[in-house]
Amino acid sequence: MHTLLSRVNNASAFMSSCMMTLLAAIAISSFFLGSQPTGEVGISPVKVFAAKGRRHYSGKQDAAFVNFNVTADLAPLFHWNTKQLFVSLEAEYTNMHGVQNTVVIWDKIIRRKQDAQLHIEGGKNKYAFREVSTSFKDVSPASYALKYNLMPYVGVLQYGEIARTSDDVPFPEAQAKVAS
Amino acid sequence: MDSQILEARIDFHGQSLMEKITKGSLVLITVVAFLAGFVTQSMQYTFAVFGGASAMLALVVLPPWPMYNSHPPTWLPAIVEPGLVVEKTGISK
Repeated sequence: MHTLLSRVNNASAFMSSCMMTLLAAIAISSFFLGSQPTGEVGISPVKVFAAKGRRHYSGKQDAAFVNFNVTADLAPLFHWNTKQLFVSLEAEYTNMHGVQNTVVIWDKIIRRKQDAQLHIEGGKNKYAFREVSTSFKDVSPASYALKYNLMPYVGVLQYGEIARTSDDVPFPEAQAKVAS
Repeated sequence: MDSQILEARIDFHGQSLMEKITKGSLVLITVVAFLAGFVTQSMQYTFAVFGGASAMLALVVLPPWPMYNSHPPTWLPAIVEPGLVVEKTGISK
C-alpha cells in the first residue's frame, strides 16, 4: 500500500472480485427476467416417399416431407442477458421398435428483438427427415413441438417449449418416389 | 531519487485512507453499475459505468496526492550506544 505498485495490486484485486460479483448477479438476474413466449404450430398432412437410403446405400430409406405454419412471439425472451435464441421445430414419435425419437426438422437463430416475431407459412423441413430404421411404417403419429434455447451473455443456457401441435400427425403409407 | 518518484510512497494514514476509499467506492460502483444496466436492460451501460468509474477511482487512489502524505510519521531519535559498532552497508542517506 505504501508504493504505487502495491496500491495498483490492492485496488485491481478488489476490482476483479467486484467484477465477479457483478457477473454472478447478472447471471442470477436472468432467472427472474423473461416470460413464457406464445406461439402456434400447424402441420399439414405429412408426405412419405420411398427414397434411396443414405446410410443404407444399397437399400431404401423413407424420407418424410413436412409442411408447417409457425406463428410465435419470442420478444418476451429478450432481456439484457439474452445473446441469441435458437428455435427449433422437433418431431417426436415412437418408431416400430418402440424407440422414442426426437428429430429436429427445422431451426432458426434469432439475434435481435426486432426479429423475434415468427410468421412462417408453408415452411418446409430444412433437414432430411428420415427414420433411422429405414421405414416410417408402424410409426406412432408424431407430435411437433417448437422449442427454444436461450443463450445468455453470462450464465446458464435455458431451454423451453413455445408451442406444440394439439393433435398428433400420423405418417401415411410411403409413396413410390416420383422421378426427379 | 528517480525510483522514489516512481514508488510514489504515501504515509500510514494515507494507506488506511486509500484502502477505505477503494473498498467503499468499488462496492458502490458495482451496485450502481448493476442497477444502471438492469433499469436500461442493456449490459453495455453496466460495463461502461463499471469501467469508467473504476478508471476515475484509479486516478483518485493511485497517485501520491498530498492528502495521503499529510501525516508523516515522527520517529524516535536514534539511540547511539557507546561501543556499538554499526556496520557500513550500501544504503546511505
